[in-house]
Amino acid sequence: MQQGGIPGGKAFSRRGILIAGGAAAVLTSTRLTPARAALRLSVTEGNVKPMPIAIPEFITGSPGDVEMARTVTAVITNDLGHSGLFAPIDPAAYIERIANFDAIPRFPDWRAINAQALVVGRVGRQGDGRLRAEFRLWDVFGGQPQDGKQYQATPDNIRRIGHIISDQIYERLTGEKGYFDSRVVFIDETGPRERRVKRLTMMDQDGANARYLTRGEDLVLTPRFSPASQEITYMSYGQGDPRVYLLNIESGQREVVGNFPGMTFAPRFSPDGGSVIMSLQRAGNSNIFVMNLGSKAITRLTDSAAIDTSPSYAPDGSRICFESDRGGRQQIYVMPANGGNPQRISFGEGSYSTPVWSPRGDVIAFTKQLGGQFAIGVMNPDGKEERILTSGYHNEGPTFAPNGRVLMFFRDPGGNTGPALYTIDITGRNEQKVPTPSYASDPAWSPLLS
Amino acid sequence: MGERMRAGLTVSAIAHVAVLAWLLVTLPSIRVNSNPALTVDMISDAELSQVMAGVQNGPKADAPKPIVDKVGDPSPPVKDPVPKVSDKPEIAPSAAAPPPPPPEAKPAEAKPDKAEPKVDEIAEALKREEAKKREEAKKVAEAKKREEAKKREEARKREEAKKREQEKFDTASIENRLALMDRRAPQRHASLGAVINETASLGADRANAVALSANEQDALRRRLAECWDVPVGVRNARDLVVTIQIDFKKDGSLAADPVILNKSANPVFQVAAESALRGVRRCAPYKFMPPAKYEAWQEVVIDFDPREMFRD
Repeated sequence: MQQGGIPGGKAFSRRGILIAGGAAAVLTSTRLTPARAALRLSVTEGNVKPMPIAIPEFITGSPGDVEMARTVTAVITNDLGHSGLFAPIDPAAYIERIANFDAIPRFPDWRAINAQALVVGRVGRQGDGRLRAEFRLWDVFGGQPQDGKQYQATPDNIRRIGHIISDQIYERLTGEKGYFDSRVVFIDETGPRERRVKRLTMMDQDGANARYLTRGEDLVLTPRFSPASQEITYMSYGQGDPRVYLLNIESGQREVVGNFPGMTFAPRFSPDGGSVIMSLQRAGNSNIFVMNLGSKAITRLTDSAAIDTSPSYAPDGSRICFESDRGGRQQIYVMPANGGNPQRISFGEGSYSTPVWSPRGDVIAFTKQLGGQFAIGVMNPDGKEERILTSGYHNEGPTFAPNGRVLMFFRDPGGNTGPALYTIDITGRNEQKVPTPSYASDPAWSPLLS
Repeated sequence: MGERMRAGLTVSAIAHVAVLAWLLVTLPSIRVNSNPALTVDMISDAELSQVMAGVQNGPKADAPKPIVDKVGDPSPPVKDPVPKVSDKPEIAPSAAAPPPPPPEAKPAEAKPDKAEPKVDEIAEALKREEAKKREEAKKVAEAKKREEAKKREEARKREEAKKREQEKFDTASIENRLALMDRRAPQRHASLGAVINETASLGADRANAVALSANEQDALRRRLAECWDVPVGVRNARDLVVTIQIDFKKDGSLAADPVILNKSANPVFQVAAESALRGVRRCAPYKFMPPAKYEAWQEVVIDFDPREMFRD
């Protein structure tokens, strides 16, 4: 009896010790704060300014590749600089001349010019004629590599390689996906105002490589990219009523979407690219329809005596925003993707049109008309937190970059000039003009190409 | 007219003189009810924060009597009170950056026979515990105590051995706990004379020997804010508070690379953390920190909190 009692008690106490030890270890390992009461301060303010980044010209193996190196360096510098989140440092300020891709940079030299990030790259041709580019991103103050990749491509893709590297750097340093390796379709406008020739045109998002997709015989409007394939849908006045078309960028093949009596317009792809949503006008009112591109089945989504148009899907495909004047004035409404009861979300003064749902789902962009001014703004899908990003005589037609952080739109100053394309980030801080061959309107941003 | 004026002036002059004379006689006798005069010392900001903690009515010992005659060498300050469990992994490039050249394929080395004798977990744990106890004992007391402890341990060991025979253990749970057990070196230090000799003396009751003044704290906070470029591209800054421990040298330079103390599931946390780290490193050294109060800022924990800034 006594014999049994003592060991039992001991066992308990030892278990107690073990538990206590374990608990202590758990406490100290989860609470990594120092044992000594260290001074603790809170820093709640910092700078909101672009990050200074140094992008020395890429190194080449042979003098014949210098042009290529210059191009890729210029593309990256331009991309990052235009994003508004980076401030490329003037190469004239560089102290160290990067000559060896594999060497560790002399960080004090880069700290001295306050570069926070340093991109070192190398580009050259391989034996098979393909180009090979690689880069390394250095954290100058931490003295560590942050990223590095290499790419191979045909030489005509040198600009794309630059955009892809820009996207990689952007994502590594901001935590958000980039948007540089993407394209824009828009309406190229030439000739006098009353006899404009409008051609469907496509270019890289930075304005390079513009090429015409239509010849300008028909009036074309509102091109939209498929989020899933190399296809564009747009509206064209050919013979008779305006129609919605589908155009394959690669093959040049085009077809009419649906065959309805009356006009179809304002087409836009569903997020999976499998159907096109548009409005169909008949007898003074227009309603929203969706057509499945595979089965050609058509579904009516709204049935009102008003003008419902400019539909745009939420990125998850669950809801649709559109504009309607059912309340008297053009306002933005949101309804389930299969139709159902629309909820009005815009309640500000003026009228709202061309709503576009951001690819990241968090906001809806719109054009707002108030007192002779056209503004581009964003609001939450529930209509809250409306913010005007830019305002002026005529701004219209917002389209989102693939990462939802930048909007492109067109601005027409009126008079004898014509419209031009601009980008603005969703903070409204960074507005940039996009270079185009001539006047340009109705931009539509593609998804990322890679 | 002139006559009357002169008369008035004379009357006025006489009256004034009379009043003044009366005051001269009576004033000294009027009691002014006042407290005894206070002496006010003007002290500087620095002196204020040097004021020692104490009690107002503490005895003012001219020469505090030493309790311990011999004051031993104070042990060096603990460099890293919480030894890191594991080193921070180096941030590696996310993809194959080709160089440095791939190491030559190593010839497969003959693997040593790995069959080690199986360790008795419990005996191991006990040995460790014993070692720990012993170390503490060594520090605190004389050899006699150590003897006792040893004896105790031995007795206990015997007990345990006995018990092991008598009883079956749930080995799995013991192993789990052993894994959790704190195996770090004991951190308690024996009291040295310098500590024991502290006596109550005059001082403000909530003052601390070395503390940074509000101005000094603010200077550090401001400098860090200047150096910190908030990642503006980041959305949902909500859970992006980054807590960083900075260990300083006395000259204001960084004694070690700053360490991130918190974690977040937010994928952009790394970006936020790096921005804060960049800020801390970029502005080092912090030469304006007062060396006299080094103890107070040797180790600082900073919360970089952008939430206020992102409120729109």
